Amino acid sequence: MAAPQLSLSPAGDLAAQTSPEYLRISMASAIALRMRSGRFSRDFAFGGINVLLSYDQGCRSDCGYCGLARTRPGSYEEKSFIRVEWPLVRTDDLVERMAAFEPRLTRLCISMVTHGRAYRDTCDLTQRITERVRTPISVLVAPPTLRRERLEHLKSIGVDMIGIGLDAVTEELFATLRTEVPAGGLKWQKYWEIVTDAREIFGPWKVNVHTLVGLGETDQDLVSLFAALADRQVFSYLFCFNPEPDSRMAAQPQPSLRRWRRVQLARYLIEDAGYALERFGFDCDGGLASVRASRAAIEEVVAKGTAFTTNGCPGGDGEPGCTRPYGSYRPAEVFRDYPFAPAASDLEEIREQLLLDDIVK
Amino acid sequence: MERTELVIVSGFALALDRRYHAETHMWVLLTEPDRVRIGMDPLGIETSGTLAQLSFDPVGSELTAGRPFGQLEAAKFVGPLVSPVSGTVLAVNDAAAVDAGLTERDPYGSGWLIEASLSDATGELQGLLENAAEITTWFTAKLADYRRMGVIAQ
Repeated sequence: MAAPQLSLSPAGDLAAQTSPEYLRISMASAIALRMRSGRFSRDFAFGGINVLLSYDQGCRSDCGYCGLARTRPGSYEEKSFIRVEWPLVRTDDLVERMAAFEPRLTRLCISMVTHGRAYRDTCDLTQRITERVRTPISVLVAPPTLRRERLEHLKSIGVDMIGIGLDAVTEELFATLRTEVPAGGLKWQKYWEIVTDAREIFGPWKVNVHTLVGLGETDQDLVSLFAALADRQVFSYLFCFNPEPDSRMAAQPQPSLRRWRRVQLARYLIEDAGYALERFGFDCDGGLASVRASRAAIEEVVAKGTAFTTNGCPGGDGEPGCTRPYGSYRPAEVFRDYPFAPAASDLEEIREQLLLDDIVK
Repeated sequence: MERTELVIVSGFALALDRRYHAETHMWVLLTEPDRVRIGMDPLGIETSGTLAQLSFDPVGSELTAGRPFGQLEAAKFVGPLVSPVSGTVLAVNDAAAVDAGLTERDPYGSGWLIEASLSDATGELQGLLENAAEITTWFTAKLADYRRMGVIAQ
């Protein structure tokens, strides 16, 4: 019934519609570039464009929680990534749109997948984009496809920041969810080699490690990792586990809002406020039990709201650039991370969710 | 089966056998003298984005014009389904509640939302757009507004 939408999911042989000539684009990005109709529930500026390499056989990894997992049922074009459809678009059309909308764009991010062509195609895409658009570019890398020289080359062609999707924050959990799985084999050690190399090549606060909350780790595991990364001037970007239907972890619930908010707060206190790991106390199960700080100092952090906004690469002006609206929750659900500065009413809810009385005396 | 007369405005099909409410993006089809079927018009659907979930107040609920009778959730948007008339909910479309895509694919047919009795069989329909000229004029203006807002794919 509706007007035809150009450039999306073009008819034809899907097997031939692969990167680098085709890409998947997040729904929020498609809306921002007007490649799809739609809007956001709240009115806020959005210019963080996320694209994902696309291959007929999909990602060669098989992570237990991921919508793109190799053994998740369904064909690749039917699969979701962080629970939403990623429309397939022609790369040339996308770059044209990026150029047309450049003044509104804040950050571009290319997500690699584990595939033999991923590195070569990421370079190709980066060059096509940088020829037309000056918006800063990040790459969320697939470590199995990389080595040090390749990271150096990415920097030389204009990539500004590197993300590493560690997701599982302990070696044991990583092995369970990403290595010892039906078509797994990802190596914890390799991921950390890439973190180290990227940090050396791209510099301080130009590398980020994605950490997924709710995979079975403890608060202590998370907070310890935040501190270790901050010591290396590497960002921790928090993501909230949100079960993908039909994935091996489809039945696992999301972390509670209370836990999630406290983890957000702890990450902020370490990374932005400079708190040392020793200021956090944990119970015998590794749950966050206390923060050694004045109530007034913590209240000030909460009132600012930044701790609860999306962790993402900044725009050219240093302001949040990649904000992934509704990335790990549905629009009808409570904001897990806010793609804008929380309003006064949001902060009231956040305070209730945090229940600070329990952890800050 | 009787075919619905359609007019096409900028690629959007508008059924001319029913009335439209200018603000709520709902159509109202009189099925009996005091009974209507209600659904979303294609612009309301289009500007919401890909529909994910529709939910309705239960049968027997009171309907008030301008007040929600359910909720729409799309890929990046959630908002109320606002009633164009007052009355009582007599039926809800369970199929659309299970598969919101039905409303996208067939908004005038199997993708209807609710059926209702009217509290005032004549008065409730006043103010709804009825003839082809006013429907197309309204729709064209709304479409231009939405294009300016940037919520329509180009």
